Amino acid sequence: MRDTLERLPAWARWALYAAIGVFLLTAVQTISDTERLTQVATAREMLRFAVPIFLAGLGGLFSERAGVVNIGLEGMLILGMWFGAWGSIEYGAWWGLLIGVLGGMIGGLLHAIATVTFQVDHIISGVAINILAPALARYLSEEIWESPTTSPRTSAVGDWDVPFLAGGTIFGWESPDWLLSIANQEWWYVSDVAQLSRGLLRGTSWVSIIAIALVPLTAWLIWRTRFGLRLRICGEKPSAGEAQGINIIRYKYIAVIISGGLAGLGGAFISTELSGLFQGGNSAGRGFIGLAALIFGNWRPGGVLLGALLFGYVFGLDLRDLDGTASHAMLLVTAIAFAGVAAWAYTRRRTTDTILAGVLGGGALFWWFIADTVPSWWSNTLPYVIVLLVLVFFSQRLRMPAALGQPYRRGET
Amino acid sequence: MAPAIELSGITKRFPGVVANDNINMTVEKGEIHAICGENGAGKSTLMKILYGMQPPDEGTMKVDGELVEFASPTDAIERGIGMVHQHFMLADQLTVLENIILGAEPVGTGGAIKFGDAEKHLARVAEDYGLTIDPNDMVESLEVGERQRVEIIKVLYRGAEILILDEPTAVLVPQEVEALFDNMRELKASGATILFIDHKLDEVLEISDSITVLRHGKTVASLPNDGVTAHDLAELMVGSELPTPETAESTVTDTVALRLSDITVANDDGRPVVNGVDLTIHQGEIVGIAGVEGNGQSEVVDAIIGTANVVGGSIEFLGRDITKESVRRRRESGIGYVPEDRHHEGLLLSSPLWENAALGHQTKSPYGSRWWLDPAGARAQTETIREQFDVRTPNIDVAAHALSGGNQQKLIIGRELTSNPEVLIAAHPTRGIDVGAQAAVWDDIRTARANGLATLLISADLDELIGLSDTIVVMLRGEFVATLSPDEVTPRDLGAYMTGAALQQQGAN
Repeated sequence: MRDTLERLPAWARWALYAAIGVFLLTAVQTISDTERLTQVATAREMLRFAVPIFLAGLGGLFSERAGVVNIGLEGMLILGMWFGAWGSIEYGAWWGLLIGVLGGMIGGLLHAIATVTFQVDHIISGVAINILAPALARYLSEEIWESPTTSPRTSAVGDWDVPFLAGGTIFGWESPDWLLSIANQEWWYVSDVAQLSRGLLRGTSWVSIIAIALVPLTAWLIWRTRFGLRLRICGEKPSAGEAQGINIIRYKYIAVIISGGLAGLGGAFISTELSGLFQGGNSAGRGFIGLAALIFGNWRPGGVLLGALLFGYVFGLDLRDLDGTASHAMLLVTAIAFAGVAAWAYTRRRTTDTILAGVLGGGALFWWFIADTVPSWWSNTLPYVIVLLVLVFFSQRLRMPAALGQPYRRGET
Repeated sequence: MAPAIELSGITKRFPGVVANDNINMTVEKGEIHAICGENGAGKSTLMKILYGMQPPDEGTMKVDGELVEFASPTDAIERGIGMVHQHFMLADQLTVLENIILGAEPVGTGGAIKFGDAEKHLARVAEDYGLTIDPNDMVESLEVGERQRVEIIKVLYRGAEILILDEPTAVLVPQEVEALFDNMRELKASGATILFIDHKLDEVLEISDSITVLRHGKTVASLPNDGVTAHDLAELMVGSELPTPETAESTVTDTVALRLSDITVANDDGRPVVNGVDLTIHQGEIVGIAGVEGNGQSEVVDAIIGTANVVGGSIEFLGRDITKESVRRRRESGIGYVPEDRHHEGLLLSSPLWENAALGHQTKSPYGSRWWLDPAGARAQTETIREQFDVRTPNIDVAAHALSGGNQQKLIIGRELTSNPEVLIAAHPTRGIDVGAQAAVWDDIRTARANGLATLLISADLDELIGLSDTIVVMLRGEFVATLSPDEVTPRDLGAYMTGAALQQQGAN
């Protein structure tokens, strides 16, 4: 069964996983008093939350594949937020995104100078950037907008409805909205799939589309090109690259600057697309969650997207869940997921893991029984909890770059 | 025909030392040329100059009769010189192919690597030189010998015709050395010129066509391999008689110092990596463990020190069961430990020597007491170690990384032996240190043995194992497969046991 799965092409495997996930949600929803788990709006919010997390995580991927720990993603994201808003107000929406990317790149350049050239500890440099960035944004806001915390309204690049599937228009002709028709049939499971898919395909920001397109692009870049191979050697064994005449320092710089640029794009997305203005604190730690998505995704672009969507789902669900019933239903999903992990661990004869997963799953189930709602701090905590659990149960399958975080000096092995 | 390499008057100075002093050497085309000399004789510096990693201060180099100056390895590669480093320059999580093409990737539009072309070129190179390797294996799944082959193919892939091999046999067991030598002969037959560094003299005599001996940065001899004996070479290298690791008469007593009974150690996956081994070491006895690395030797050491996941069996130290005791308790009660990797486990590289001397003994006099360090006592003790064990250092406040490997090791040995242990665990005590320091370490261990110390010796240097040990056990796949007497065993026999070949033969008979 395992081999059959691995022989499937990647897209088919992912589609299968998604189908199983939605099935789980639908099943839980059937026995709970909520309908939000599979609503159109939930999928839309999931994507809106996931995009900046994903972009930050992808930024982290470039940096860490080149061996530089980038905990400064949060700061770079904030720089992107400010510069994105400023560019959008001054020059228009698309320029805003570009300037946001450049803003993030400044943060990346700073991190590269500190960690690569001066060999500052990566964590310390990152934390410094995280402290510096919001302060700088505040100062610039005061100077330019005469308000320390908020900017005027920004403009957005707009969005797109996919024709036929989600009723988009083609040259002014309005195509049918097939997913809506299916959703309206209220077929069990099928309509749920249609709703969630429609949430992803209707009113989709161009930035989201760019972000999704970055998954195959990054995979190609990292694994199929000369640039990618040399980038990876920086994170795996820089001395081996140096011995072959590769300028490790240059590649590290490029990688960390790209990293900042992607986080900056995520930041620009937050200010221009999500909030419609720059507001201090709107980053809401998404740079850090991006790092969590990076670890969850095992330093692979598809995995980072999956992690971002998972975390985005948790946040997106919570946003509309004023009475806490949807989060409550998620407890049951959690319990079932733990049962799955326990079964998996049992087949590998990993007794401790089996017991641990069983206990945690039992705890979630117990909570689900005794409570009707769940406080909102729970969903804010969940992404970190998920990452911790991934580390506990799957750490042996995680492969971080071998030379990650190690200082590199020319001529040293 | 012009010689492949001609060096004249090469001199390289570093602050305080002359690493190479007016070196003259000629390497003919198509020969295997060995360079031997003690550690610190200037072999590595010379190779770095040849490979463009460092420029010489004086002197000239000719390749194929043409005068050359290398600014970087890239220049050397262009002239057809390739180097296989002693520490492999391979990334574990990349495939063999990726490792080989790195830096010389065939690319198409958009920088996409033409993996198909690369694979074809690799297959052609491999065939030309009679080397086989699967390009799509991950390097982490390869054995040491295979990794070395990848390194060799890597330089051939770049069109190198002159190969520099830096101590290629240091990491290999005898059978792998044979395979390497076969490969080297193939390479030579295909027209390659090989320069290799080695200080195992029997190997040098077996494979090389000519030999250059360096001592203190000077060429003391450059001669064809014709009627030369190991003894001659040894005298040229050290300038006097070669020290041997042999121990004098037996000092083994009846008192059991350490006893492992049915010890099983599990790895992170819960699989046993040491499987029910029994081992007894008496006072005054040295027990050597032979084995290819990764067969459970390290885990046996970890079990005794207390850092392994021991899932079965018991460890008795002077009659006391210490299976459940903490590492500190064990160390305090008299288990000395020379770890296999002095940089990772033996020293704090950026701390001064006297702090390093206190490591592992910080809770005991003279270094300190239960709660407090005693810097004055520690410093005095460090001075003692420095004198007694001939640790060459300007003072005891320099950081440990400022010392050469041999002096670092002498500091560690001194630290462990001056704390008067009952049992010493010595893992690769002479790995990567020069002949002089090696002899000093052997002397120290012998003296301690005569005073009743029980020693567990793990070493990849089979001569050292045979020379020092009173008993040798061979470890294979987590089990002790043979107990041998060092008087009756040769390195070749040991190698056969280590790879399991001898056991198969016995089974067949």
